[in-house]
Amino acid sequence: MASRPKLSGIQRQVLALYRGFLRTARQKAPEERHRIEAVVSVEFRENARNVDRRNFVYIEYLLRRGKRQLEQLKNPDITGLSTLEVNK
Amino acid sequence: MLRRTLPALRSVKDGVGGAARQAVKGEAQHFPSLRGHPAARANAREAAEGQARLAAAEEEEERRRGGRPAPAAAAATVKEFQVYRWNPDSPGRPFLQSYFVDLAACGPMVLDVLVKIKSEHDSTLAFRRSCREGICGSCSMSIDGVNTVACLKPVDTDTSRASMITPLPHMYVVKDLVVDLTNFYQQYKSIEPWLKTKRPPPPASAEEAGARGTARGEHRQSPAQRKKLDGLYECILCACCSTACPSYWWNSEEFLGPAALLHAYRWVSDSRDDYGEERVQALAEGWDKMYRCRMIKSCTATCPKSLDPSAAISAMKALHQLRKAA
Repeated sequence: MASRPKLSGIQRQVLALYRGFLRTARQKAPEERHRIEAVVSVEFRENARNVDRRNFVYIEYLLRRGKRQLEQLKNPDITGLSTLEVNK
Repeated sequence: MLRRTLPALRSVKDGVGGAARQAVKGEAQHFPSLRGHPAARANAREAAEGQARLAAAEEEEERRRGGRPAPAAAAATVKEFQVYRWNPDSPGRPFLQSYFVDLAACGPMVLDVLVKIKSEHDSTLAFRRSCREGICGSCSMSIDGVNTVACLKPVDTDTSRASMITPLPHMYVVKDLVVDLTNFYQQYKSIEPWLKTKRPPPPASAEEAGARGTARGEHRQSPAQRKKLDGLYECILCACCSTACPSYWWNSEEFLGPAALLHAYRWVSDSRDDYGEERVQALAEGWDKMYRCRMIKSCTATCPKSLDPSAAISAMKALHQLRKAA
């Protein structure tokens, strides 16, 4: 097994947030679970590609936003989420 | 055009006019709120004086011009405002952007200036606002280094100095002047700001039950007991005091902050609430929740509603110590 790279604190936070979303998705209905996982993984991968890894201010802002969205998703009354593309 | 000369501030409330007082027949003594809070009257005086100074400067400028037609924006009444800007979507660090506003064509308060900037100069400026009368607590921000609500802060009409408008200090910024207050609200929620009783209310008398359709009565309170809540219930949760407290800056997770503690004391001193002792115990148990207050009194100095959170916190500390001794 290849040696795992040492993750920085902020990388661990991002991964913990991702894990939180996947765990919360497990609590919802099966079709919604797939949609949530798709939306969340797309968002995380896009940001991982586009955001400069040294731009801590923006990453921390995205983390705070993600944590708030995760708290909302954890609410049992919320059944799912969806996204909307706005073309300017 | 606004009438900006200094209005006559002497009124019935100042004790002028015996005839007027006779007409009121001493009712004002039973309603102290009609007399007006001294801090509110001082604020109004400051706003009126500022506007009068502005009118004087405008007249001075016109006299110097010798009656010639005025240029587009009269230089005497234009003031520079340096506003904190940061957009999470665009790269780069936060910066102060300067806007030049003609105070003669704008309302007297800082919120009027911000609305004018947003509507005429730059619509991308983000700030919270709602009631424009100092009761909702949305527009709280740091104006010239002092935390207040923008709708109650008169503009300093000295046009030679720039005014600096920044978001509440030591708070995560969402965009421009909007800050993240979720931690603040969680702390308010954690003190359980609702009535908790051990007994049901006393049953209503027969006629009350008939009128209301139920035998369940009310939790009654005498005027003396209600007076204990004055100075505590008026808090609008604007977060000005908590964000002015250095102890809250360094420990915002553990320390509840003056606003939440003021509300905790409001529930402790409410005679209808039966869990006063337990509330104080809960606050004092976690050493950080209340005892991180170091009597800095920055909260009292900055409160836009002229409340006294530090006195409330001292009172609660005293209550806890006395109950421990008893």
